[in-house]
Amino acid sequence: MAATFILLSIGIPWLGALLVWWVGDQHPKLQHTLAVVFSVLAGAAALALIPNAATAAAVTFPVGGLFGDFTFIPDGLGVFLAAVATVVGSLAVIFSVNYMHGEHQLGRYYAMVLFFIGAMVGLVLTSNLLLVFVFWEITALCSYALISFHNDDPKAVKGGIKALIITQIGGVGLLAGALLVYSYFGTYDLNYFIANAGSLPAGVLAAAAFGFLIAAAAKSAQFPFQTWLPDAMEAPTPISALIHAATMVNAGVYLLARFYPAFKDVPGWTTAVVIVGMLSALLAALMACVATDLKRVLAYSTVSQLGYMVYAIGAGGVFASQFHLFSHSVFKALLFLAAGAVIHAVGTRDMRQMGALGKQMPFVRAVFVIGALALAGLPILNGFWSKELVLEAGLHGGPIWAFVVMVFVAGLTAFYTFRCVYLVFYGEARSHLHGHDAQTAMKVSLGLLALGTLTTWLLVGPFGKLLHDTLPAHEIHALPLGEVALEIFTAPATYIALAVIAVGLLCWWMRDRLAGLASALTGLSRAAADSFGFEAVNRGIVSATQNSAEALRVTQTGLLNWNVLGILAGLVIVIAILAFGA
Amino acid sequence: MNLSPSMLAVIAILGLLGVGFYALLASRNLIKVIVGLQILVKGSMLAFVLAGRLVGNVTLGQSLALTVIVVDTIVAVIGLAISVQIRRHFGTLDVKALTTLRR
Repeated sequence: MAATFILLSIGIPWLGALLVWWVGDQHPKLQHTLAVVFSVLAGAAALALIPNAATAAAVTFPVGGLFGDFTFIPDGLGVFLAAVATVVGSLAVIFSVNYMHGEHQLGRYYAMVLFFIGAMVGLVLTSNLLLVFVFWEITALCSYALISFHNDDPKAVKGGIKALIITQIGGVGLLAGALLVYSYFGTYDLNYFIANAGSLPAGVLAAAAFGFLIAAAAKSAQFPFQTWLPDAMEAPTPISALIHAATMVNAGVYLLARFYPAFKDVPGWTTAVVIVGMLSALLAALMACVATDLKRVLAYSTVSQLGYMVYAIGAGGVFASQFHLFSHSVFKALLFLAAGAVIHAVGTRDMRQMGALGKQMPFVRAVFVIGALALAGLPILNGFWSKELVLEAGLHGGPIWAFVVMVFVAGLTAFYTFRCVYLVFYGEARSHLHGHDAQTAMKVSLGLLALGTLTTWLLVGPFGKLLHDTLPAHEIHALPLGEVALEIFTAPATYIALAVIAVGLLCWWMRDRLAGLASALTGLSRAAADSFGFEAVNRGIVSATQNSAEALRVTQTGLLNWNVLGILAGLVIVIAILAFGA
Repeated sequence: MNLSPSMLAVIAILGLLGVGFYALLASRNLIKVIVGLQILVKGSMLAFVLAGRLVGNVTLGQSLALTVIVVDTIVAVIGLAISVQIRRHFGTLDVKALTTLRR
């Protein structure tokens, strides 16, 4: 059974991608319908996979001796992320029916979205490192193509290329790590690697561990690669919700969680992971406090929350990090889609022009507030439970200074979340924007996500059991809901965090009286608005890549004779190596 | 001078490869390029047969050569068809005209 559902949840979106593209842009209605049908079917297939979770490979494609078998294992980590990718994916597609109404080139849009969903499922289910890399790159490619969907807008094209280049740097780290592992074990099977990581030479294991950390940081927009994600906000909003909040950016966290048992004994690795997560959470939260673009605020908050997950892994809380990933996917997709409804209605992303939109769009305001409260970590929404679990794991397994910073960031999160909600929906109208409430398809997906935000924390027990039963190497302690609740409500970490969150809220409430403090912090806020100089670093990486590519263009003459000469030279070198070397 | 059959075959292979590579390197006419490619592939075909004989697995060498013959024919046919289209489209068979992708 599991094999069928694995193949279906990868195959259905890819088949749908082909069909939507083949139908052609002159039939937009059919394209909308096809995309919704195929993404919902994929969601159903992935959900059906959950009861079939197992530790053994369910699908195996033998492809000869060199690559090993292409295997897919439906273990807890994989099936849960597959379900998140397909279900949030189908909701984003349903939302797109209204959001992308009247757009040209829907074929390109839906084909890329469906292609992405299938690749994401493949990425989390496969247990072959080479295939992990292949799916990893497909998701990066789809992300690039969708960020640059409005390819007549230079900002969108630039943002897409930046995202592509930065995530490629991570891809190099992943490939290098995978090849190192392969050269020692002669197999790409990642469970074999995890079980036998101790037998590798320490230096090799450390190189692989830090290669994977670079890969994860670049993919999940973590320090010091965090600036591609805000620039990726040029994508249509359902894409931001699906790829840049709920699924693809989680791939880095997934990679760290998957390989945690292999790398946890590498000296310095867990500390490095904690520092990466902590700095990302802190810097991004500070930037979110001064951003004025609605989607950018959400993008910074995504970086910040991903920082929490990375931090939790560094502190040994794989379960806490995955549970926060789950909660975050739901409430951030909700926030992004609600923001999309606002942007769709008023036609701007600048929060300085908004204000008092709540009266015109009460439904959107209601669901946005639910998402915002979950982001701020207020009980009893899903964000509260998972964030407390993360903080508790950090207190037990991580250094105390990191814990202090993360609690401070929880306060900042509450502050900027409230600022964002207030600027958009409350206060006084700062310009004459005419909003209309969300349309039917938008309401369906927003409503379902809001329901999820209110209830997914109830799944903590089964979720923990699923991970515990199918991931023996990760040593996950599963507790039923009642005990988790008891543990959270008796832990001092919870009350410290809630107190700090309350302080964050108070700061926004009393912002007029705290004006003196605010002016003292202008230097900090200017630095935050300039993204602390990392923008320049990442821009440097991008332009260096582009310049070297431009320089290498000389070798691409396009002339047959020169190409033949190149082939001949290569042949001579190979023969020379065979004859004299090794 | 007394040459063994294998030696003769090696000389023939090197000669065919040399002619083929020279044609690919030096000519700019697409027809000549395809002719050069054919000569090159004939050399490699002979090399397969010789290799099979030297290793003592004659049938493997022969079957590889047969495969190459089939593939080679398809390459020639499609290459010539593309040449016809290029001639119609660009009005020339000069490979130098085929750098439009670079711009």
